[in-house]
Amino acid sequence: MTQTQQQPAAGSPLVTRGLTKRFRGGQVAVDSVDLEVPAGSVFGFLGPNGSGKTTTIRMLLGLIAPTAGEVQLLGEPMPKAQLRVLPRVGALVEGPAFYPFWSGQANLLRFDAADSTADPRTRKARAGEALERVGLSNAAGKKVRAYSLGMRQRLAIAVALMQRRELLVLDEPTNGLDPQGTREVRHLIQDLAGDGTTIFTSTHLLAEVEQVCTHAAVMSRGKLIRQSSVAELRAELRPRLVVRTPDLGIAAETLKSLGVTDLKTTDETVEGDAVELPIEKFAAALVAADVRIHGFGLERPSLEETFVALTGEGFDVAQ
Amino acid sequence: MGATQRSRRWLVPVAAVAVVAGVGTLGPVVADASPKLPGISAQELLAKVQTAKVDGLSGTVQSSADLGLPALPGVAGGSDSPSGAVTELLSGKHTARVAFAAPDKARVSVLDTMAERVWTMDGKSAWAYDSAEREAVKLNLPAHQPGKPAAGTPKSYDPQSVAKQFLDAIDPSTKVDVSGTEKVAGRDAYKLRLIPRADQTTVGSVTLAVDSKTWVPLQVTVLPRTGKDPAVQVGFSQVSFDVPAASTFAFTPPKGVKVTEPKTPTTRPDRPAKPIDPKAVPGKPNLKAGNEPTVIGEGWSAVVLVRGAELTGANGPLDQLLAGAQQVQGSWGKGKIVTSKMVNVLLTDDGRVFAGLVTPQTLQDAAAKAPR
Amino acid sequence: MSPSSAVAEPVAPAARPGRYPLALFRSELQLVFGRARTWVLLAVLAGVPLLIGIAIKLSGSEGGGEGFIGQVAGNGLFLIVASLGLSLPFFLPTAVTVIAGESLAGESSLGTLRNLLTAPAGRSRLLAAKMVALIVFCLAATLTIWLSGLIVGFALFPVGDVLLLSGTTIPLGEGLLRALGIAVVIALSLLGLAGIGLFVSSLTSTPLAAMAATFGTFIVLGILTAIPQIDVIHPWLLMFRWTSFADLLRDPPYWGAIGKNLLLQAGYLTVFYAAAWARITSRDIV
Repeated sequence: MTQTQQQPAAGSPLVTRGLTKRFRGGQVAVDSVDLEVPAGSVFGFLGPNGSGKTTTIRMLLGLIAPTAGEVQLLGEPMPKAQLRVLPRVGALVEGPAFYPFWSGQANLLRFDAADSTADPRTRKARAGEALERVGLSNAAGKKVRAYSLGMRQRLAIAVALMQRRELLVLDEPTNGLDPQGTREVRHLIQDLAGDGTTIFTSTHLLAEVEQVCTHAAVMSRGKLIRQSSVAELRAELRPRLVVRTPDLGIAAETLKSLGVTDLKTTDETVEGDAVELPIEKFAAALVAADVRIHGFGLERPSLEETFVALTGEGFDVAQ
Repeated sequence: MGATQRSRRWLVPVAAVAVVAGVGTLGPVVADASPKLPGISAQELLAKVQTAKVDGLSGTVQSSADLGLPALPGVAGGSDSPSGAVTELLSGKHTARVAFAAPDKARVSVLDTMAERVWTMDGKSAWAYDSAEREAVKLNLPAHQPGKPAAGTPKSYDPQSVAKQFLDAIDPSTKVDVSGTEKVAGRDAYKLRLIPRADQTTVGSVTLAVDSKTWVPLQVTVLPRTGKDPAVQVGFSQVSFDVPAASTFAFTPPKGVKVTEPKTPTTRPDRPAKPIDPKAVPGKPNLKAGNEPTVIGEGWSAVVLVRGAELTGANGPLDQLLAGAQQVQGSWGKGKIVTSKMVNVLLTDDGRVFAGLVTPQTLQDAAAKAPR
Repeated sequence: MSPSSAVAEPVAPAARPGRYPLALFRSELQLVFGRARTWVLLAVLAGVPLLIGIAIKLSGSEGGGEGFIGQVAGNGLFLIVASLGLSLPFFLPTAVTVIAGESLAGESSLGTLRNLLTAPAGRSRLLAAKMVALIVFCLAATLTIWLSGLIVGFALFPVGDVLLLSGTTIPLGEGLLRALGIAVVIALSLLGLAGIGLFVSSLTSTPLAAMAATFGTFIVLGILTAIPQIDVIHPWLLMFRWTSFADLLRDPPYWGAIGKNLLLQAGYLTVFYAAAWARITSRDIV
């Protein structure tokens, strides 16, 4: 769908080709997905719940085997090269999972010990730094059983931060966090991206993509329907003329006579595609028609509205 | 990694099952492969066996018996009763350690589950020890009878004596041949096969595995006329012909063990197992003392007659067994026949018991000939 | 198709895999022995000699009765052997079933299996670590009984030279060593069951279901072992030679049945470990 797909940028840390997962029941969870994540990008992987994001991420990390297609992480095939590749990849898959009877620090140490490339001599120090970075230093010795969901989410991010990673694959990293925590995680992601780490983060929240991502891809019903830079997406959006007025009928008629198409009327506003500019013409015409204008201007639609238009469904809706 | 490639991994456990099953079943077969030995005639082999003499031996003996006797829940487990001990040795598998240096220097230890029964003679005294009861019985051996083994040595664990019993029975009624070679207890052995000519018997063949160096029988296998599984097999699983140290036969009663010492050496009918003898079959019903068994016929078709057997009373399992037995009658009267793979027993209503390794019809013929 | 040939060297030097492969094994032991549940199991096992010892002490019997139990009052060392023997049919298999059932199904149900595999632990190595931890637990379980039996036996009863099954006597020190040998043989006797448990645990994400299925298999095998009509298959059944441990108390020890028992356990372990490996390396981890 995008131009970049045909000529992959050299060194793209995450590439998939025709990635497909058909579950035993015959249900196709992921259907021929071609992803290409540019190096150094913060890549938003967007889609409603149940659109196949988590299944895709599991295939990226070698947790489940694709029915067809292939995955390349850091230039090497998965899952064949997983023991070489995964130490350089930080991952958070489908919610935080820990040993509840152990402290947060003990959990970090165990997952780090599972990585045979991790130096045991620096393990404790690295755990301390990772906990510090996600703001859990004070709760390091507390049993995870006593952690709130937000704390667990942060601990899960700490697992990914135990080592310097070239790529972070994060599945819904802000899930369960309060607004403050969400802000902190977004800052953390931006920090990490600033260090040159490529970040692939899935989310069902558009605000997240708009605030932190440089690139985005949209999944819907197992298919990848859009993939490009966020700036590119924004540029494509056409502004709409919005008039806030109590005289809805007259306003709509006036605008129509001036060639405005796709008119929509709500309780307080009339809006439509203002093909011809400048917009002063419309203001003058409305005033001339004795329309009381409470508000007047051009509004760019949000990404959300765009994606609703793309996917034909709303976000935050479980299927 | 495709689905087929992943499902191929299951070939590994499948192969593991094949290897484990193969090693478990074929391993012993491969180890027992027929060794190459110079040819020998049955007569030569018999002569060698009868003159075989070793200064001493020690080893482990495995015995397994499946006479096809119906399981008698009340009898099989109880090794305390005389009939129980016999039934126990005539069924199931047993392992024993044996050592032999002279007729009055011998030791047999039956390795029971978490227990052990020991009989040993050191030339002066004989001991029987039961670890489960922690009781020992001491017998002083008569000094003037050095050649005769004291009663209490269970011969059934000594393949040599078992083989001799069979060899004594060889007469024109039996066809003898050398049926090949095999490995027993890691030693090369000839197989001497005895096949009864009479068709009244239930014995198909008796095979002795004879060591090709010492000419000591290492294993006895009795096959029934029908079926391929041995009814009785007694043999060494490990054997050494070094003379065991004298200390092997010594027994010092340990602290805490009750020692009984009968004044006169009496035979203890319960402990020693009877030799496996085609002519004598242990009667299952309780025998009244004083009723000496008589033998009708000879050779393979011999039938043992016991009179006055008590067949009624509170003998629960036996009653059950008899209830299912076949009713027969003839000129000799009426009775019931209990049949099994090898041993058949005829119990007449007038209290006589005919038993033998013979067909039920042979039993009835014997009953017709027998005096009332 | 593959851009890998054009990839520049990554920023960080490529990590060398396998530099610290044993760290996972150590961590696995910490997981098994860092749980209260494990210590409860071991405490129950340690309580077996205590209960038996107190019961014998209270009943006041002086060396009567058959078997090892009957010898406890006369020699405290037999408390070790009797406790090990009495724990073998039920307590020890239960403990092994709990730990084995938990091993993979527990990680699966917590979701920590995902973290381990993306760490990456490597599926084969993780399975090996689980198995090693199970073996160590089996040893810990029987050695716990050995130690507890030693302490209770020496505290409550007289001790001295040890009467063997063959009717000969050995010094106390050698007796303790043989009892230790029995503990090790019994631990190894449990490995077949541990293998079954590991495999069942790889099939499910519910530890309780894995434990129930493993224990059910154990019960079925026990019932089959008790049916005389099918004695043809008995030598192939897991527990057929479990009582062979007592052969260490003969003079000299009889190794035949112990060897066959250990071979049988090795056979079960090989088959079920291979099956667990096939399962865990081909399974979709969700």
